[in-house]
Amino acid sequence: MRTPNSHDLLEFLSRHFIWVVLAFTVVIFGLTIQGYLGLANIANILITGSVLGVMVIGQALCLMARKLDLSAEGTVSLVAVVAAWLMLPYRETDLAQAGGLGVELDPLIVIPLILLLGALIGFLNGFMIMKLNMNFFIVTLAMQLVLRGLALAISEGAIMPGTPAAFNWLGGGRVAGIPVSVIATIGLYLVFGFVMSRMQFGRKVYAVGANEDAARASGFSPARTVILVYTVSGFLAALAGWMLLGRLETSVPNLGIGLTLNVVAAAVIGGVSLKGGEGSIIGAFAGVLFLAMVNNALNLMNVDPLWVNAVRGLIILAALIIDAQKSRYRGRAGPAASQTSPDAQKAAAA
Amino acid sequence: MAEARAVRQSDQILLDMRGISKAYPGVQALEDADFAVRRGEIHGLVGKNGAGKSTLMGVLMGIRDADSGSIVMDGQELVDANPQTMLDAGISYVPQHINLFNTLTVAENILVGALPKNRFGLVDWKATYEDSKERLSRLGLTLDVRQLVEGLSVAERTMLAIAKALFNNARLIILDEPTAALSRVDIDLLFGFVRAQQEQGVAFIYISHHLEEVFEICDRVTVMRDGRIVGTREIDDIDTPDLIHMMVGGGVKEYERESSAGAQVVFEVRELSRRGAFEEVSFALRQGEVVGVSGLQGSGVDELAQGLFGLERMGAGEVYVDGRAYRPDSPKGAFEAGVGYLPQDRHRYGLAPLRSVRENVTYSVLDRLVGRLGILMRKDEQSLTEEYIAKLGIVTPGPEQQTLLLSGGNQQKVVFAKLAATQPKVLILHEPTQGVDVQAKVDIFNIINDLSAQGVGIMIISSEVRELIGLCDRILVMYAGRVTHEFSRAAADMKPEEILLAIEGGSVDADAKQPRPA
Repeated sequence: MRTPNSHDLLEFLSRHFIWVVLAFTVVIFGLTIQGYLGLANIANILITGSVLGVMVIGQALCLMARKLDLSAEGTVSLVAVVAAWLMLPYRETDLAQAGGLGVELDPLIVIPLILLLGALIGFLNGFMIMKLNMNFFIVTLAMQLVLRGLALAISEGAIMPGTPAAFNWLGGGRVAGIPVSVIATIGLYLVFGFVMSRMQFGRKVYAVGANEDAARASGFSPARTVILVYTVSGFLAALAGWMLLGRLETSVPNLGIGLTLNVVAAAVIGGVSLKGGEGSIIGAFAGVLFLAMVNNALNLMNVDPLWVNAVRGLIILAALIIDAQKSRYRGRAGPAASQTSPDAQKAAAA
Repeated sequence: MAEARAVRQSDQILLDMRGISKAYPGVQALEDADFAVRRGEIHGLVGKNGAGKSTLMGVLMGIRDADSGSIVMDGQELVDANPQTMLDAGISYVPQHINLFNTLTVAENILVGALPKNRFGLVDWKATYEDSKERLSRLGLTLDVRQLVEGLSVAERTMLAIAKALFNNARLIILDEPTAALSRVDIDLLFGFVRAQQEQGVAFIYISHHLEEVFEICDRVTVMRDGRIVGTREIDDIDTPDLIHMMVGGGVKEYERESSAGAQVVFEVRELSRRGAFEEVSFALRQGEVVGVSGLQGSGVDELAQGLFGLERMGAGEVYVDGRAYRPDSPKGAFEAGVGYLPQDRHRYGLAPLRSVRENVTYSVLDRLVGRLGILMRKDEQSLTEEYIAKLGIVTPGPEQQTLLLSGGNQQKVVFAKLAATQPKVLILHEPTQGVDVQAKVDIFNIINDLSAQGVGIMIISSEVRELIGLCDRILVMYAGRVTHEFSRAAADMKPEEILLAIEGGSVDADAKQPRPA
């Protein structure tokens, strides 16, 4: 019917771009950095990548729906502070350390509580954006400020060390030598990969992201879909907060600061467009792996920490450039001219 | 009046476009078009939607590249046409929706980019106001230059936009539907201003669907049809029926559908009104009946279509689907009641272009394709998509193709498939053949025919009168918010000239030769 042409090749490359990049990265770092592909280092990459990974799922959903969630890192810091505050014994705050509220709740109560809190924050975001018609960028940015402010106020700007072991299991535990956080993250990717490709909810998210008006005219409610997307994003951010606090065993007031840009970058590198309506969960996963590997390599190569941010920034910009070019190229290609069937052409000529 | 015209309009050619052709995939948008404008003339350009007016004007403005042909302005051939060279040559375009800085003053709009400065490098407001006032008065225009543009009436904005073009040395100004949103008083005001500029030797191309106004203000008129120039006439040598005849052509009907109307009413609209949109609209649609509704922009047809589908407020009145009261607050409710809508703007309301044909076809029926726990049933989805690809003849490499890679006609068929999959009782089709090629048009006619044969009541909102005549059992005409005429195949009175005249607001029963307003 159609012979493959340069457009197909480009389409193929842009779709699977991240895997090509990932393969190159593994080979280059593996050859140049001693011990990079050792078991200990791979575990390290995956553990540090898992918090990022959990957050990327939520962000990817928002991006697919042509939205953005800038508040997620605020949720991470707030739930961590709230969890520590509810679990730790009371003590006078001195300059460096704070204690809990004194209620010393069981982790089994605190965990569902903070997950619910995250979901509620997400719901609020979605509600304001879709029902009150507010701009998603500003809403989630302001929300981040609110959440970070609350975290600072509750913790009085001090660290809260010594979270209980049962709570730390997700972030620091191991099952048969494999970190629980890594198992959980991979599990979440499998679940959301299925949700986005095979379930009604996923289909609607893509539809809303690709064309909100058409989604409405197709008989479903973009508002409901988007609110659910933000609720999921908030829930996953809370889960990431739980995981991170469990790994550190200490609540730090500025937990997760600057995470947002990394999260968006990983999703975009993985092929989730900022323009909505496309990308896959598996692609986002590859984006997370890539970013975690690069961060790890920068550490191992003893790159001057003062330069690390510049390198990361460049990678993010590169990802955005590719994303922008993708849609620009598409705009030019336009509807293909060769799509009329031979019969139709004959009929038109007759 | 004829003498006056002869005096102010010289025979000297200002603009001479020759042999302009332009093809898009599947459509010859312009074919060997010759178009000339004299110095100081107001030249009407008329034709149905899709006749090629916008493409021709796009070429003239340098925003479309012609495949062949030449443009001579003032004796100078314009090569390497782009928007800047055309502006430099003195060609300016005033769109229907005026482009001005609404939150700035009249003076700032006039002098934008060249505001006078004082010796501190700051804007010299006194000079700004005086300079702009003086410029306007030279054109005989009195506007408060300190007023914000958003406070001006539409007519004033149009005149300001024309004035701005003149300050940029425009000698030929294209006016695109300038009166669409104007009252009679404002039209007089605008026409007075345009004539005054004409006296100074400025030429205008006047694009309008309102033929009455074309007769009122134009010196000559050129008619386009199907990408060709049908002819150019002195306005005194032609009357309304002749002009309409030139617009619709005298060829054979393009399509003739067999009527399949049953007896049972499936859709009934009773005295539906929405302030500022339409008033007391009543009609009924029988099973398998196809009814066309046609009207100019602003006649209420577009609002009626979107209101009946729940995309906009429906308004006051009663609507029944299959005898049951129907009042959709969203498209979801409309689908549930068995009403589907093919949007006029398929890019806005019809398609998720990045997604596959399969996903687009099934959006409207997800609830039916979903199994337990919200998991979609792949097999059902696949077979449904393949069924509609075959039924509607969608030309695509496969169900997984991104819809944005399909041709316009096939994209339209995907939207049709999405609607047909809901098995509707009533379909509202809004300009179903807009932007599709000739073959796809015939395919779409066949789809409409099949659907009506299955008993679906179909309402087609279209300005393609000739297509409506071929397809419809009845045609309703709306003017100024009301249904003013009904034509039917049964009464054998579906004549294109009469229908077009009714669309223009003229009366068929009265004098067919409408007197020109003096």
